[in-house]
Amino acid sequence: MKARAVKGIVVKDLRETRRDRMAVFWIFVFPLMWVTLLGAIWGGSSPPVVVHVGAVYFNESAPFTASTLIGIMENVSVDGQRIFRITRYPDESAGLKAVKAGRVDVLLLFPQGFGENVSSGLQGKVYAYFDRSDPQKYQIASGVVKGFFSEFEREMAYRKLNITLGYVEAYLPKNLSANLSPSMLRAYMMGLIDPISLREEAVKGERPSPIKFYVTSFIGIQFLFATMLTVSNLLFEEIEKGTLRRIAASPATAWDFLVGKMLSTFIVITASILIGIGYSKAVFKETVFPGPTGWLIIALSAVFSMSLGLAIAMGTRSMKATNALVNLLSMPLLFLAAIVIPESILPRWARPIADYFPLGTAVKDLRLLEIYHRPPSEVFPDVVWIAINSLVMLLIVVLLYNWAIKRLQ
Amino acid sequence: MRAIEVRGLRKSYGNFIALNGINLDVDEGEVFALLGPNGAGKTTLIRILAEGLSYDSGEIRVFGESLSKKTARLIGYAPQESLAYDDLTVRENLEFYADLYDVPGKRVDELIERFKLPAKKKAKELSGGFKKRLNLAVALLYDPRVLVLDEPSTGLDVPSKRELWELIKEFREEGKTVLLATHYMEEAEALADRVAIMNEGQVIAVGTPEELKRLAGNESVIHVEGILRGTEAILREFRAIERENVLRVSVEDARKALPKVVEALVEGGSEIRSIRIEEPSLEDVFLKLTGRGLE
Repeated sequence: MKARAVKGIVVKDLRETRRDRMAVFWIFVFPLMWVTLLGAIWGGSSPPVVVHVGAVYFNESAPFTASTLIGIMENVSVDGQRIFRITRYPDESAGLKAVKAGRVDVLLLFPQGFGENVSSGLQGKVYAYFDRSDPQKYQIASGVVKGFFSEFEREMAYRKLNITLGYVEAYLPKNLSANLSPSMLRAYMMGLIDPISLREEAVKGERPSPIKFYVTSFIGIQFLFATMLTVSNLLFEEIEKGTLRRIAASPATAWDFLVGKMLSTFIVITASILIGIGYSKAVFKETVFPGPTGWLIIALSAVFSMSLGLAIAMGTRSMKATNALVNLLSMPLLFLAAIVIPESILPRWARPIADYFPLGTAVKDLRLLEIYHRPPSEVFPDVVWIAINSLVMLLIVVLLYNWAIKRLQ
Repeated sequence: MRAIEVRGLRKSYGNFIALNGINLDVDEGEVFALLGPNGAGKTTLIRILAEGLSYDSGEIRVFGESLSKKTARLIGYAPQESLAYDDLTVRENLEFYADLYDVPGKRVDELIERFKLPAKKKAKELSGGFKKRLNLAVALLYDPRVLVLDEPSTGLDVPSKRELWELIKEFREEGKTVLLATHYMEEAEALADRVAIMNEGQVIAVGTPEELKRLAGNESVIHVEGILRGTEAILREFRAIERENVLRVSVEDARKALPKVVEALVEGGSEIRSIRIEEPSLEDVFLKLTGRGLE
């Protein structure tokens, strides 16, 4: 390889890129707009979930009624935010209509006599109607409402237990064995009410930050979209101007040319990534700075993406076609390979793309390393996978380069 | 010594035969012109020599050695189109090619000075003349023994064209071999020691301009200028070329033909500005050999 020829190509490309306003926009400004936009939307901490509840109940004169329960529900809050928004409906059909129209997530129907039964220590029945058309929404609403009732039942059970134990202690004969002592009975009855006691302790862990997530998305955009676009445009300009023929006729080899193009693009993209990382730190006070393994993944992914871009430029016959094909390929992949969205919200059919498409794997690993602080050994098999794919793509591009030169002649 | 030897060179693009068995010898130190209309095969021949374009059959030697990447270093090539990157300055463009050919940096300064190039100006801001000069500077970066120029004066105004011709003459004085392709007969006449006339992928005549003009025999040319009408009859009866406001009629006996030509033009309603009898030019030779003009 001729180092001076490679250097010449790198320096020339960097100068051209610096002076091309469109390139500067796509490489530097657009990603910053992206980080700003997503950071502004998702950057703050997520508010607690709010469940819209419809309630239908009857007026009763018992000490504890459905109205009392709904009142308690209305006041449940997390971090100062009320969890339930209650809307009262006069009858079941009005309530069901509201569920079907999506105005409430669940309808709670308290039949007549609910308050009488509960106040008398009997079982009170409640009917819950959930809208199951959206499984995710249903899971959240159902979990929150059932969680509330479960807690409420437990509280009621303890209160009943205390009342019952008051009677037991007052009326239990004093000459019973130690096994039937009031304290023994209390422990036994608590076991009946609450066979397993789940104690929740708050731990201050590292929450995966949305900003950090979107910084990794930004890095993914850079090495999927920007590298592909930059390198394909740099190459196509050479084809259109006729300078590629000249370079091919010079002592520079195919490897000199391709390495030069890739290095210049990688330098531009690295600069862009560093600007994005710094920008996020300056604006949102949070960022991700990849470690050595992270940078290795970025470099390997960039080789894959650049090879793909070069292959597209060599296979098309106009700059417009090159740009169209790069956009057509990279835009859906930004989503389908879970680069700009979390993998958890991908449809099942798209999961293999995120798992096996090398750039999807790369972003996933980058997140594991830089957001969840997993050890590099955990992503090693993926790094090998990305490296193999990048090498194969690179070899394809060298073959395509020689073919393109022949075609130009 | 022969700078370039071409034997039986054939090149086709699908069914189209671009070069059909070309034989050519270019001597060291001469300016050799390939003269022919567009599509004659000049650029294809030049690109085979200078850019390594593949060919179907034949043999090419450069200073006695078969054409290869090694001999490519002996040939400097200035193509028709600009080789410069628009957003780079003149110096940056030359530096890029110097890196590509591993030429010392001081050579860039020498060439900027020699061609009086505006070093800091971006290539896109250069005039056509300076773009051609920059192309020449790139071609001369590694001091080749042969300079190949494809249509060097196309698109240039008259003063720039004259300046370029002076530079080409300087190259000859320095002992360089110059192979230039052109479809301007005045360029070939002004610069070339020898000319090869090409048509439809073949060399149809080679010689000094004087030798070639002799191919026209005892013919002379009636050169008419003006607003010309009614030329159809002349073009039918004589071997003639009409271009813009000029009519050139090749005739064996000018005294006999002149009245007929004038009569036809006057009857057609022409406004004749001038008429003169001239020696045949290379274009007239081309007309005689092929039956058509150069453009």
